[in-house]
Amino acid sequence: MSHPKASHVVDARYMEPPEPFVQTMEMLDRLKPGEKMLLLLFREPHPLYKVLRQNGHAYETELLADGTFEILIRR
Amino acid sequence: MQALLSFDKAPPFAAPLRFFLTAPLFSLAAGLLLLFVGPGLLESRWTPGLLAATHLVTVGFMLMVMLGALIQILPVVAGANLDNPLAVARWLHAGLAAGALLLAAGFLFGQAALLGAAALILGLAVAAFLVAGARALAGVPSTSPTIRGLKLALAGLAGAAGLGAWLALAIANGWAVALPALADLHAGWALGAWAGVLLAALAYVVVPMFQLTPGYPARPSWWFPGILLGLMVGWALGVVLDAAAAIRLVRALSAVAGIGFALLTLRLQARRRRARSDVTYRYWQLGLASAIFALAMVLTATAWPPLAELTGWSIFAGILLLVGGFMSFIIGMLYKIVPFLAWMHLRNRGSARSPVPNMNRLLPEADAQRQMQAHAVALALLLAAVIAPEWLTRAAGAALAVASGWLLVNLLGAVRRYRQHLDKLDRESVAA
Repeated sequence: MSHPKASHVVDARYMEPPEPFVQTMEMLDRLKPGEKMLLLLFREPHPLYKVLRQNGHAYETELLADGTFEILIRR
Repeated sequence: MQALLSFDKAPPFAAPLRFFLTAPLFSLAAGLLLLFVGPGLLESRWTPGLLAATHLVTVGFMLMVMLGALIQILPVVAGANLDNPLAVARWLHAGLAAGALLLAAGFLFGQAALLGAAALILGLAVAAFLVAGARALAGVPSTSPTIRGLKLALAGLAGAAGLGAWLALAIANGWAVALPALADLHAGWALGAWAGVLLAALAYVVVPMFQLTPGYPARPSWWFPGILLGLMVGWALGVVLDAAAAIRLVRALSAVAGIGFALLTLRLQARRRRARSDVTYRYWQLGLASAIFALAMVLTATAWPPLAELTGWSIFAGILLLVGGFMSFIIGMLYKIVPFLAWMHLRNRGSARSPVPNMNRLLPEADAQRQMQAHAVALALLLAAVIAPEWLTRAAGAALAVASGWLLVNLLGAVRRYRQHLDKLDRESVAA
């Protein structure tokens, strides 16, 4: 799955916890340094944000009209 | 995986659990009150028994669970950490429990001293929570409709509790105030600006997450909490200026806003991607249907005020909204939150040898479904009792007591299985 913002996408909008978190961490492991990935969710993942900050990953979040949060994460 | 589950400042299980295990005792007490006082309790909105029973449900059950749950989930849904969650939980829990009992007793026995003490204790407990909650949320930018909603809900709670304390003191001291108008305003703030806004702010997260529905559209969910709070401010101004037409308009618009939110949630649920209807989904369906019906009654009465004068009209709508609506939403959530927290804390203890039992084993779905049937029977009997009080008030009270007791038994079962597994882990670590 691809997206204009990033070529690596985890669409976790209809996944049950903790699947979104697990798939995001797995995807981050596969990325090369400097590469970006996009996580799509219907909520802001505050616990994930915390882990991203602890691991030194930068991220940006945008809320779309349909209620999707697009979280762009840099490896 | 582990990182998701262990938030640094995640409160220990005891912090929210004490609220969840105490709350059913208060709705059980409300049921017993109906059982023992009998049909006279439903003669009007203002009987001492009904005022006592209403506050056992709203303060003792609803507020108890809502504040206990917020202590737990503020870090998860808003990234906001309370300082010292366990200390906040201890004091708040004691204050709410004592305050709810004093308030109910004060109404029931018409004792000014008890009402005054209840106003003081509940006022202090809620104020302490508001300070802790505001401090936690102060540094958090409103990046989602949920965070914005939570901040506005705290303002709603401040208004609802302030009005409630003032009313209790006014009754206790015989102050000359417009009691019916202020009591309606207090109920509007408590159920609209506080409980309604909080419900919406949390629904934005939990409905898509637990029921695998589409998300709430961004724009309406951003504006809904502010509109509801704004309407309540308008209502308060209407009371101050004694503008009856303005109050009616505001009440009608609030009911329309609530119905809109409930219909939107039903539409999202209809598009969910989970085939199985679990107990939480069913409780929410019951809650949404009840809330729509109740708010339609409010709307009809604002269009045609003589209806509201009918004995039973507002009691019927109130039971639908509280027992059918809010209690259903709350119990439905408890059936997700309690097993999830038990599972999370066991998981955090970690053990290679004894895998953590899954959530359905900690709190079996079949037990929860049966309890929900008891709750639905209690709701039906309570509504029927408004129409035929002589026949059904005591039966309805007994049914509410049974449904509440059953909820407690189910929650205690989950805690017992949690402790059994914890003991097993302890024995393993001693043996190792």
